[in-house]
Amino acid sequence: MGTDRYAYQSRLRRVSPLPKLALAAVALVVCLCCDSVWVGLVTVLVMGVLITALGGLPVTVYLHFLKVPLAFLVIGGITILIHSYPAGTTVVAALPVGERLWGFTAHDLYQAARLFCKALGAVGCMYFLSLNTPITDLTMALEKLHVPRLLVELMELIYRFIFVLAETAANIRLAQESRLGYQGFRRSVNSLGTLSSMVFLRAWRKGQSIYTALESRGYTGSLTTLAGDYTPGLWLLPLTAGVAGGQLLVFCLERMAVG
Amino acid sequence: MNPAIETKELCYAYEDGTTALDHITLSAGRGSITGILGANGAGKSTLFLNLNGVFTPKSGQVLLDGQPVKYDRKGLAALRRRVGIVFQDPDDQLFSADVYRDVSFGGVNLGLEPEEVRRRVEEALERTGTSALRDRPTHALSYGQKKRVAIAGVLVMEPEVLILDEPTAGLDPQGVTEIMRLLVQLRDSLGMTILIATHDMDIVPLYCDYAYLLGGGRVLLEGTPDDLFANPEALRANHLRLPRIAHLMEVLRQADGLDTHGAPATIGAARREILRLLKEEEKV
Repeated sequence: MGTDRYAYQSRLRRVSPLPKLALAAVALVVCLCCDSVWVGLVTVLVMGVLITALGGLPVTVYLHFLKVPLAFLVIGGITILIHSYPAGTTVVAALPVGERLWGFTAHDLYQAARLFCKALGAVGCMYFLSLNTPITDLTMALEKLHVPRLLVELMELIYRFIFVLAETAANIRLAQESRLGYQGFRRSVNSLGTLSSMVFLRAWRKGQSIYTALESRGYTGSLTTLAGDYTPGLWLLPLTAGVAGGQLLVFCLERMAVG
Repeated sequence: MNPAIETKELCYAYEDGTTALDHITLSAGRGSITGILGANGAGKSTLFLNLNGVFTPKSGQVLLDGQPVKYDRKGLAALRRRVGIVFQDPDDQLFSADVYRDVSFGGVNLGLEPEEVRRRVEEALERTGTSALRDRPTHALSYGQKKRVAIAGVLVMEPEVLILDEPTAGLDPQGVTEIMRLLVQLRDSLGMTILIATHDMDIVPLYCDYAYLLGGGRVLLEGTPDDLFANPEALRANHLRLPRIAHLMEVLRQADGLDTHGAPATIGAARREILRLLKEEEKV
């Protein structure tokens, strides 16, 4: 389920999260700022190469993950693409609806492509981070970057207990379903209501038992832990510069080609 | 020599005033496994939280190595360092999605140097056989694996007394054997004092050196497992039962008139007893 499973298997798993975060963030910012079709495409390609070559992720899995946001991107692209024009405008393709033309011009097409590619590049950057870095490492990195402790600890606890509560909810749902709790709309709504209130109550009780358990291990208000051994991964920093350089080079080439 | 941990006339009441523990006096000898037996709601978990200082007794004392526990900040910190609790549901205890970090938590709280914490984490993972799980997220572990990680998280504090609430509940038979062997190994190699709350009667004669029967917040019976099994009525009155083997021997004695000595409760003891009877018969 999700990207975390792959993050734990990644060959970059034991590399310190900070340089990974730096690489993803720099590439992301450059990709967004350049706002160009080619930079976006190159970014998603380079990230794919890095994830598969360095992290050891199968190419098919990366492609599968790229498909996940595709629906959003396509819908977003279409809304940018389609406009209504007065009759007689030069359009690439359009349908006459009443007095007006609904379709897109060459400029619209370029605009939509730019947005689509930029977003795809950004998604690639985020995948580099999330497919190589477990959440717990990421929160550790955030702590090093002086994000407020409370926030980081909340993130860690929430992340852990999403799974515990999801399991609880799934069990309750099964129990309800096995007693025909989801036959018909009315009964479904009813059962779902009971389920949510039960999960809420359990979460409440769980919170108390966790507090007790933490206290018995010497909890005094902060969830300080030691992470497993990391390799510093400083070699990722020149790579980061290289990726950014490459993106900028593509940007310049594109500008020159456009004139 | 003082017992590692003992209570004297310990009383505890919940906030709403119901008495949970009523003058509990018990002690756990150093380097032994003590069983606390009792039905659900007998007060086992409440007793354990008192022993670790999460709950403060209404009256009476908890003594560690003969010294009464002090309930100031320093005293509580020392108590929690020396007495570790493993809770029944490992999901209550494992708060981090990262196994290594969860295990390190107690060590960090002791204010140890990072190197020392790492050494202890490695040792705890090694002892509980969870070294290979460090690269897996907590939510991907099985129930038994979570249980072992939870134990590792307490061992890292190197407590003198280890308390486990229902350590075998929810485990498959092999999981039960593994956990109990781990406890025996901790007792034998580290001289750790171990208390377990349980109503799994079959493990009591195999692994416990001494046992207490708790009911309604009181100590009803105490002694070696054999002593307790000599009094099956008390166990039954408290929703417990004899171990299956002891029950078999009881039936053989009462219904079939077999002249068994004592109350053999393990397969080994029952086998010896039956062989002895067979030999006697041959002689006759």
